[in-house]
Amino acid sequence: MNLGKNIPENDDFTSFLSREKYFSDHILDNCRSMISIINRDYVYEKVNAPFCNAHKEVADAIVGKTLADVWGQETFSKNIKQNIDRCFSGATVKYEASFTIPQTGQRFFEVVFRPFPVESGEITHLLAETFDITDLKLSEKIAVEKEEEFKRIEQMLEDRLLQAQKLETIGALAGGIAHDFNNILATISGYSELLQEDLPQASPSYQNVAKIQMAVSKARSLINQMLAFSRQVEQEKVIVNVYDVLKETIGFIKSAAPENVTVKSNIRKKNAPVFADPTQLFRIFLNLLTNAIESLEERKGIISVSMELVSGKKVRDELNKKIVADDYVLITFRDTGKGMDPSLIRRIFEPFFTTREVGKGSGMGLSVVHGIVTEMGGEVLVSSEKGKGSVFYVYLPVSAGSTNNFLVSGIRKRILFIMGNRHESNILSLALESAGYDLIKPSNKKDFVAVMSEKKFEPDLIIYMTDAENIRCEDLLGALHNRTSETQCILIEDPDIEFPEEKFVNSGLVCQHLIKPVSLKEIKNAIQLSIK
Amino acid sequence: MPGILIIEDDEELREMLKVSFSRRRYTILEAGNGKDAITHFKPGVTDLVVTDLIMPEEDGLKVIMKLKEIKPSIKIIAISGGGKAGPGSYLNLAKALGADAIYSKPFSVNDMVLKIEELLNIEQQ
Repeated sequence: MNLGKNIPENDDFTSFLSREKYFSDHILDNCRSMISIINRDYVYEKVNAPFCNAHKEVADAIVGKTLADVWGQETFSKNIKQNIDRCFSGATVKYEASFTIPQTGQRFFEVVFRPFPVESGEITHLLAETFDITDLKLSEKIAVEKEEEFKRIEQMLEDRLLQAQKLETIGALAGGIAHDFNNILATISGYSELLQEDLPQASPSYQNVAKIQMAVSKARSLINQMLAFSRQVEQEKVIVNVYDVLKETIGFIKSAAPENVTVKSNIRKKNAPVFADPTQLFRIFLNLLTNAIESLEERKGIISVSMELVSGKKVRDELNKKIVADDYVLITFRDTGKGMDPSLIRRIFEPFFTTREVGKGSGMGLSVVHGIVTEMGGEVLVSSEKGKGSVFYVYLPVSAGSTNNFLVSGIRKRILFIMGNRHESNILSLALESAGYDLIKPSNKKDFVAVMSEKKFEPDLIIYMTDAENIRCEDLLGALHNRTSETQCILIEDPDIEFPEEKFVNSGLVCQHLIKPVSLKEIKNAIQLSIK
Repeated sequence: MPGILIIEDDEELREMLKVSFSRRRYTILEAGNGKDAITHFKPGVTDLVVTDLIMPEEDGLKVIMKLKEIKPSIKIIAISGGGKAGPGSYLNLAKALGADAIYSKPFSVNDMVLKIEELLNIEQQ
């Protein structure tokens, strides 16, 4: 617009100028960017209000000062001067930079220098315009972080799938090859025994053959671990309250934990029914607690356990997981132990992965935990910091049903259950009762004798745990000897306790012999075979 | 000489058992699966049976029931290398069905030979 044409005829020039200055100042001061005019001596000749506000100064205090005065000599000569010189040579210069201004501290800016041609055509000034682009930068940064987070989650899901497939493969492999593999081992072992018969015991060859035998027994235990793994993932399930199982597990670990360990539990009685084998739940909780104790390496430390209900929606959002229930129960195991490197965390659920010395751990524990939990539709997660400790999170889907009626029709059999270790037996009794069996549980010899001498009482079956302290196996044999009718018996042997097996076998009583730990599936099979 | 029938589908393992038992002067009979064992069973010359449990055709559990039915005094040792259900459960079943001893593979053949002697001595008394 040509200002000259707009000069009102009757107006005098001075008042026109002052009005124009008022307008242009008003426009400048109401811009959102900082605007200044700089001359060839790097001196500010004019600045607008946002510029002044940013520097917490009035215009008069800035006009007449050099850029070096305002920004500091170092910033001026390092970052600003070259751009200004380029502008004075005729170019419009645009760049982004972060610098500190008194009003807001450090911010991001886009700076534009435009050469300022006067009528002579010689560049004497430049117009500097500076926009605050911090918010834009921040939102860009957030977008990048979101993208990275998304990629990380995608990777995690992929890893998890891979892990599940790996575990499945190991399980199938174990079941499939164990039989043939054990045949091969039996052949190797048998021939090496024959060889030893032919060799003088003192000869080096005899010792070499002994080493073959040792290798065979190692291979055998490896196969057994793999078989145990494939077996443990298959479960016989009932509806059980996680609270009941967790309470027993904590009771067990408190009585067994060494003195350096403090076990804290923050668990209030809640109804958290899940569809699971209680004995397997007990095993996985115990496994996580035992690992926590080991991570303390005999130093003083705290293991804390908590249990809470979380909504399926929350689980879906936080775990990026397809949910299978409206609610989940989250059990958290936290220790102040040695923690793990991130590189370890990725691998701990792999079968045969162990941080223990060779021969001290099978490396099956956590992979079994993972297998069982995932099979239930749950999830186990870990977070850990080297030197600080680890936290294991177990999410289990809460079952909608509340009774086991659909399982028990026609089962109601009476079992005389002679219990061993309190907590372990309680779990087993919980499992059996949930599966629909009626249990009679004498707690001492007197009760037992009273039950056994009751004429009307006729148990369908007796289950005897060999670590029963108050009722010894002699008591059982004696009581059975006096009875006329034949009662079937299942022995659950504690391999750590010396037990006179022959007495039982010779009495012709034992129809099933299980070795701890037993799963609900194993014991149910045994019961079904015993009760015909 | 007492007769031992070895029922095992793995040829090398069967051969190994045969070699081991032959040293103790037993008469050895062999079968590669449960069906052959039952069809060709000779109660007159067989005093003891060592049988695998998981085999093609008839499995070992059927063999135990059938042979005990034909000759109740026969001694049976069941061996198993396990499978999908694990070695324990099949062997427990075998014992429940009347096997006199059970071994899970790999086992000590010397132990088994001692067991055989024990079982056959009881038989002779």
